[in-house]
Amino acid sequence: MTKPGRILATAVAVIAGLFVLADMFIARLPVAGLGNLQRAVSGTSFLLVSWAAIIFAFALFLGFYNVVSVHVKQIRANKPEAIYSIVLLVSLAATLLVGFWGGPNGAGSQFIFDYILQPLEATFFALLALFIATAAFRAFRVHNLESFFFVLFAVIVLLGQVPLGIYLWSEFPIIKDWILNVPTMAGVRGILLGVALGTIATGLRVLLAADRPYTD
Amino acid sequence: MQVTIILAAVTLLVFVALLLVFLSRVRAGKSPKLRRIAAFERLHRFNSRAIESGRPLHLSLGTGSTIDASTADSLAGLSVLEHLAERAAVTGVQPTVSMSDPTVMLFAQNTLRAAQSADPQQAADAYQHVRWIAPQPAAYAAGVMSLFSVDRVQSNVMVGKFGDEYLLMGEAAAQQGITQIGGASDPNTLPFIYTTAQETLLGEEIYAAGAYLQKRPAHIGSLLAQDTMRWLIFLLMLGGIILATLRG
Repeated sequence: MTKPGRILATAVAVIAGLFVLADMFIARLPVAGLGNLQRAVSGTSFLLVSWAAIIFAFALFLGFYNVVSVHVKQIRANKPEAIYSIVLLVSLAATLLVGFWGGPNGAGSQFIFDYILQPLEATFFALLALFIATAAFRAFRVHNLESFFFVLFAVIVLLGQVPLGIYLWSEFPIIKDWILNVPTMAGVRGILLGVALGTIATGLRVLLAADRPYTD
Repeated sequence: MQVTIILAAVTLLVFVALLLVFLSRVRAGKSPKLRRIAAFERLHRFNSRAIESGRPLHLSLGTGSTIDASTADSLAGLSVLEHLAERAAVTGVQPTVSMSDPTVMLFAQNTLRAAQSADPQQAADAYQHVRWIAPQPAAYAAGVMSLFSVDRVQSNVMVGKFGDEYLLMGEAAAQQGITQIGGASDPNTLPFIYTTAQETLLGEEIYAAGAYLQKRPAHIGSLLAQDTMRWLIFLLMLGGIILATLRG
């Protein structure tokens, strides 16, 4: 990117960001006489946010090109996995054709969504149960103090959740609730506070043009 | 409502002031000693292993976008990519980068291209290493899981916004013996990271990538501002607790 291009990109990003941020504050201030300013800032902010949706749509086209080019290259390389790339490209073309033919809400698109995409997604996410078990099996090995506490708390929470635990000791559900509501909640709130500060810092760096991920 | 807005504005102004003060201090050479984060140190070793084995390192930027609330998470992942791209420009071993949002793909392509700006041919080739897989989390996870075996990935780094699909990818990599670094800001994803990755970046640690990997003054300055804000909030909370207790 040339120097003027970099300056222009930075100016656009900073001004757009400041408008959207200003909308958060100015539009909510109940001060008389600010009506025109509030409307102008809100209108501009809304317009800028709408443009983001348009940019997303264009980016989707480029994403489409990326998928096609990567898989065409795999087929040309004649790799053993090329068959999967062929299946992907054929499915992509078929879905596109069905979409163009009957529209995104047409019977064909709906059929693909209801009887192919959704069941596949559900089946895939059902693997989570198995994966949780295998991940837990690996994680429940005590090799240091940290993992000892991890296993200890996990076992107590597990016993507090299942009828067997209650049968063994009626206090398990109470201890489980305490673990979830006191130390876990405190940890989660600490993490969320840190994340909020990190997010603000990232946003401010972009707004102050100290961080310019949109330029070279 | 009005009080909330005023409080938010004051917090933001204090944050900006702190950021500017620390930024000027860091630029003046007064850089602090950052605490050790094992995941960032391990990332350097991942690079070396990728070069030795000739097998790529995979970086997942997650399911976040650059036009919604997950922007900060995506930018954190892009900071890691920037570091990897700079190393790749020297070594010639490009990382494979995947994401589920096409706007993040554009940033990733730009990052790789910028790092290879000295060689136009390598810059053009770098685009082939960026993979936009699918916008749905399940489809994205399926694509990444297949990528591990098709590309014979050596190491796996996942930094960005992730939901439950993290476990699908993380566990698939763990079962194939791929060493991993995982980082996310969502507390619900952190147990999945803890159980599958060798090194973890928990919560806000992902936002420190720019400070640790590239040593950028803006990132180090903002890290100091974050820490100061955290102490201020802590003291305010402590003061509130004491006041509430005294009032009975």
